Amino acid sequence: MTAQPAIELEALSKRYGPTVGIEDLDLEVRQGEVFGFLGPNGSGKTTTIRCLVGLLTPTAGRVRVLGLDPLADHRDLAPRIGYLPGELRLYGELTGAQHLRLLGDLQGAPTPRRDELCRRLDLSARDLDRPVAGWSRGMKQKLGLVQALQHDPEVAILDEPTEGLDPLVQETFFALLDEAKDAGRTVFLSSHVLAEVQRTCGRVAIVRSGRLATVQAVEELRDARARRVRLTFAHGVDRDRVPVAAHWSPAWSERTLRLLVEGAEVVPALRRLLELPVTDLAVEEAGLDEAFLAFYRQAEAEAGTVGGRSA
Amino acid sequence: MRTRLPLAWLALYRRRRMLAVLAVGLFAFELLIVVVATTVPTESIFGPRQDLPVPDAFQAFSGSSGEVTLASYAGLLGAGLVHPFWIAMHLTAVGSLAAAAVAADVEQGTIELIVVRPVSRLRLLAERAGALVAACVLLHLAATLAVFLGVLAVPRLHQAVRLTGVVAAGVLGIGFSLCVAGPVLAVSAAGRRRGQVIGAGIAIGAVGFAVNFLALAWSAVDFLRFLSPFHYYVPADALVRGTVPWASLAVLLAVGAAGTVAAGRLLVHRDLAP
Repeated sequence: MTAQPAIELEALSKRYGPTVGIEDLDLEVRQGEVFGFLGPNGSGKTTTIRCLVGLLTPTAGRVRVLGLDPLADHRDLAPRIGYLPGELRLYGELTGAQHLRLLGDLQGAPTPRRDELCRRLDLSARDLDRPVAGWSRGMKQKLGLVQALQHDPEVAILDEPTEGLDPLVQETFFALLDEAKDAGRTVFLSSHVLAEVQRTCGRVAIVRSGRLATVQAVEELRDARARRVRLTFAHGVDRDRVPVAAHWSPAWSERTLRLLVEGAEVVPALRRLLELPVTDLAVEEAGLDEAFLAFYRQAEAEAGTVGGRSA
Repeated sequence: MRTRLPLAWLALYRRRRMLAVLAVGLFAFELLIVVVATTVPTESIFGPRQDLPVPDAFQAFSGSSGEVTLASYAGLLGAGLVHPFWIAMHLTAVGSLAAAAVAADVEQGTIELIVVRPVSRLRLLAERAGALVAACVLLHLAATLAVFLGVLAVPRLHQAVRLTGVVAAGVLGIGFSLCVAGPVLAVSAAGRRRGQVIGAGIAIGAVGFAVNFLALAWSAVDFLRFLSPFHYYVPADALVRGTVPWASLAVLLAVGAAGTVAAGRLLVHRDLAP
């Protein structure tokens, strides 16, 4: 018997008049999975998340979280999820402690992790007793994480969770994600910071212009990703005779050429390039950032919207 | 701060200073009206010919349907309960608390924190409407207390106005505020901006007063007075009669209730994102 998915989206569409928020999105997130939801700003991530938590009514399609409809079954589902909005807004005149009590009261469930999370995220009692109007963005984001996780939800839906966090607190946050995964909790995490997804997520969905571009395991995405190639040519090599494709993003610096070559093209490309007098060569795996950009570039080329990039 | 009604608490807590200032202001204003009324001697209150009719349009300023003239103690006290200053203060409170029901949270983006909890949208509206009612009651208590103390302390006023009438006028005043609050709540439930809600409150109050005045002044549009809350909010009549005009109160409350029901329908079916 297959376990029920934590999150199911079937042909989800949300439009705001003529504007498309998200279009025909199919997605399934397994229970106990840390799932990354990637895309640039304005790609539809927040719209999708707001449909997941029942803030928006889908124009078409079906949404299920833990088998429940976020709108029709809101009162049954809401106690089981934790949510961090992408643009966290707080009541300036309330203190941090008042926020946590208020939101805990509204949650209507015990908050067993509140003190632990405040301690680990470095929110002191003194900080919590100050009105949040005087807090920094990072402090507010930490409070947002505490309110989302303090009741130990089965599914945590976090929209851009590391925004404004300093590197040390980000480390703590990544540790919290690892613990959540070990405890069988599901985390749905949206981001445009690819490194954090690479580090924390098992699978990744990439959305672009309101449409799902791909769903892949981070490892698969890594295998398919591009390579950074750096070649230094001997004196006297004519740049115009170097066989490079425009979509490799060639960039010259004196005699050194930098390229971003997609996985399958690396070996044939090097064979041709090494026919010229090369004095130095370095090939590195591109990060997920480049893989992501390469993916977009490919999609754009297929759509015929843009040509190859120039150096 | 642990409460069974956290959303009502939040709305009132965030506006506590404004409400305190308005309550003190209303108390002081009504006390001033009482003091001014007592400076007019009984025998000379607007001259010896009190049997001469005052133009109908002036009823709009005395808060009467016609049985109480402005040239009387009840008329003067009633004028204090429909004075533009009184109206402005009440509309400020109604607009602010109605905006706090939904639209202010949508505008600020804090709505996301609230409605993702196991809180139904109708509960959100009910708690916020409860906060609005509590604020209205507080402000009318302040105004009524000032008039009550004045009438109790000054025999001339006491002879002209019944204490039960003061209470009745206060109850009718609550009805007036709730009459405005219902439609304004509906604007808040559908809106995204505080300004829209406060503007709707001011529009209902100002247009309502103007329509009532116009209908009383110009017989050709006399029928329009039924559309104004000021046709039903007649505090001077209540002061003299000593009882609540129940039919008028029922109309005011029915409008408020209809607006609140509409607010619920609008809120349930809308997107709630900043």
